[in-house]
Amino acid sequence: MRRLSFATAGAILVLSLSAWAIRVGDPAPDFTGTDSHGQTHRLSDYRGKYVVLEWTNKGCPYTRKHYDSGNMENLQKEWTAKGVIWLTVLSSAPGEQGYMTAAQENSFMTKMHASPTAAILDPTGAIGHEYEAKTTPDMYVIDPSGKLIYSGAIDDHPTMDLADIKVSKNYVSAALEAAMAGRTVPVGYTRPYGCSVKYASE
Amino acid sequence: MPSGNRLFFVFALLAALLCAWAANAQEPSRAEAKAPHVTVSLLIPPAQIYPGERFTAGLDFRMEPGWHVYWINAGDSGEPPKAQWKLPAGITADALQFPAPKRLPLGPLMDFGYEGEVIFPVPMQVANDYQPTGKQATLGAHVSWLVCREVCLPGKGDLSVERDAFAASLGAPQVDAATQAEIAQYESKVPKPLPAGDAVRFRSTARGFVLDVETGTREDSAQFFPLDAMVIVNAAKQPAQPLNNGVQLSLTKDDNLQATSQQLNGVVELPTGEAYVIHATPGSLTSGGAGKVGNSGGLAGAAGLAFLGGILLNLMPCVFPVLFIKGLALVQSSQQESGRLRAHGWVYTLGILVSFWVVVAVLLALRAAGQQLGWGFQFQSPIFLALMAMLLFFLGLALAGQFEIGLSLTSAGGSLAEKHGYAGSFFTGVLAMVVATPCTAPFMGAAIGYALAHSAAVSFTVFTALALGLAAPYLLLAYNPGWTRLLPRPGAWMEVLKQAVSVPIFATVIWLVWVFARIAGTDALFGLLVAFLLLAIAGWCLGRWPAKWSSAIAAAAVLLAAIGTSVWAVRAFGGETVRRATVIFRNGSRVQGPETATEWQPFSPALLTQERSEGRPVFVDFTASWCLSCQVNERLILNRSDVRQRLHDSGAALLRADWTNEDPDITHALAALGRSGVPTYAIYPADPNAIPHVLPEVLTPGIVLDALNSLGNPPRQSARVAVQ
Repeated sequence: MRRLSFATAGAILVLSLSAWAIRVGDPAPDFTGTDSHGQTHRLSDYRGKYVVLEWTNKGCPYTRKHYDSGNMENLQKEWTAKGVIWLTVLSSAPGEQGYMTAAQENSFMTKMHASPTAAILDPTGAIGHEYEAKTTPDMYVIDPSGKLIYSGAIDDHPTMDLADIKVSKNYVSAALEAAMAGRTVPVGYTRPYGCSVKYASE
Repeated sequence: MPSGNRLFFVFALLAALLCAWAANAQEPSRAEAKAPHVTVSLLIPPAQIYPGERFTAGLDFRMEPGWHVYWINAGDSGEPPKAQWKLPAGITADALQFPAPKRLPLGPLMDFGYEGEVIFPVPMQVANDYQPTGKQATLGAHVSWLVCREVCLPGKGDLSVERDAFAASLGAPQVDAATQAEIAQYESKVPKPLPAGDAVRFRSTARGFVLDVETGTREDSAQFFPLDAMVIVNAAKQPAQPLNNGVQLSLTKDDNLQATSQQLNGVVELPTGEAYVIHATPGSLTSGGAGKVGNSGGLAGAAGLAFLGGILLNLMPCVFPVLFIKGLALVQSSQQESGRLRAHGWVYTLGILVSFWVVVAVLLALRAAGQQLGWGFQFQSPIFLALMAMLLFFLGLALAGQFEIGLSLTSAGGSLAEKHGYAGSFFTGVLAMVVATPCTAPFMGAAIGYALAHSAAVSFTVFTALALGLAAPYLLLAYNPGWTRLLPRPGAWMEVLKQAVSVPIFATVIWLVWVFARIAGTDALFGLLVAFLLLAIAGWCLGRWPAKWSSAIAAAAVLLAAIGTSVWAVRAFGGETVRRATVIFRNGSRVQGPETATEWQPFSPALLTQERSEGRPVFVDFTASWCLSCQVNERLILNRSDVRQRLHDSGAALLRADWTNEDPDITHALAALGRSGVPTYAIYPADPNAIPHVLPEVLTPGIVLDALNSLGNPPRQSARVAVQ
């Protein structure tokens, strides 16, 4: 009983000291989502692994830059092979650009040879709002202890030009490499670039 | 003949080409590229290029309604247009100049850009040693852009304009005046540097920055557009505070901003349309301020105000009876040693501090959990009100003389009384704090709003100062035994005084019961009054057989019954049906007082937006039944005939936001104004992009009339197309 009240007091203390918003270095908020195969995923399920969250919208020219060039698919293959959980998140509201049904998303992934661990369908935008996802693409990297270690742009060339991918520094790979090697992530936060996430209008 | 036909054909072709070329020459200064949803043009006003020439070219974007292009800092999403110039040797172009942008909200995001049309001026220079390579010079640009509405379309185009080129400067160069005028119009909208002598400073607060901009005149509102990304939260509101010679803006920091900013760069736009580029350095411009006390800024200032507010709280009708009780206890124990007095003082202070801390911790925890609560929220819970009313009623009975309890004043010596004394002091402190919360006195509102808007450490500091202020008078008395000698000697008058003190206690009970009845309804009120009867019975038990365990147990049992009755009454009768009835009550009739002549409508966010979109400014009165300052302001100020007349004549829509019951819409609106409690008075201008003007908590007729006068005549304008 004493342990419980201590834990409650501690929880209140922690809660009262934390800000509302997403901050690199803080624990990443837990979420529950359903993927395009109907499976449920919880962030807490993946404690102990690196998790990458990738906000996407297949109609956005910035997203297309990374998918048409194969860049995003390569990243997904490279990092899932190293045990990273890669979750693509679709927060477009029904009727907005980027909204996909489960079947549509599955066929899109097959066509583009995309291989994330799962594609989470978030048409209400709940997960997007929780993470304050602003653009597509907007990338978040979470370490095995549940801490957010990177939030922001996918790379340092905020353009729509496919040619820029070769010369861009990829922030997601940089964060994962550094964290896996036990070093501090050099760049934890950048301004994400892309089209705005098409949330349902309030 | 075939050859004749062919000749004629060639001739016709040549003629057509000539016509086309001539037609082109009639519009020489503009090269257009039509793209989906936008037409991009390159404007070169001068007809001739010669050495030493300086002119301003323009890149013109004309967009379909609802589509926009972006400012140099696009905001949360998007990219500004770019131009790569293809110019002959000797001709150089400066970077694109960006006219002052507009805020483009997009759900939870905020972008900065332009709708309709925008021309980006491009200053160009021709070198003094310019050598033309032919009869004409071709000035071209490869332009790329992003044009968006709900979706974004990238675009690019190559534009070029040909001009006659000369090797020597001309006496009378020709210029396309119309194009030049168009460019000049947008050049005037490019933000200018602040006039020399005008200062701009910023200082960091826990959650953001306070930016002071001196413009020479008092500004009611302004908007800040950052030049650097990731410094402020673009979508956050920027509450503006007029200064005597400028304006002060409160900006919210980007949560991930690590480094302390040495300079804040951006554009400040005033409601008149003027825009200034600013590079603010650390500091502050508000030493005297605009007379709004709550704006002294800084943690020390807020804490100082909170301390003062705490002292003042002792005078408010909610708290004064409690202080009075403690004062009487001091009078009683002026015979005891000073050490014990001081200890009592500190225990009382500790009681207040601890209860403040507990409440702040709970508030912060709830805030972190996403609920929206403001100070005084306890008084929106009928059960809390019922318990408070019962507690004070019981206390009043004791003071009136029905019985004696440990919390009462006449604790005659002995270790038991001392034990009671310390616990009594502690819990009297708790009681003082509990009853103080809804009385948001003038100094308090700003300090509390400031604290709750900032980090936990700031909140705790400010509330600790508040608690100390509340405890200070009693502590002062406890530390100056000499001053207790000034207090009257104990005697029969004390009994009379004690009974007299029960009067303000009962008055407070009446007030609580009134608020309870309005929230929970008359059926629940019946249950509460039955509970009061049970309390009186319990008191009689304690009084009839004093200091007997049996009577104490009996009284306790009856007390429990009383509590149970009131809680059951609230649960059974004070539910949703009452809430609906209250809504009808609010909608159908005047909420408070005899203002039958004014047209106060109940507040709702949709109504607010609708009124503003119809071109009417909106005066919102955030109030609550349990808020005494609100009642005073309404009856004495807002209800005055001249103020009422002016409100009516101003054409402003009058909305009353009744926060007696918990209402998330109202809580949200308060937070958007940077406030956390009532009273709050805000004037929302008709222009939806303009910042609401928040009036001070203590109204005077002058303040309200001035604010209404500054509205001017509201222009009737059509609704702006909101970009989603």
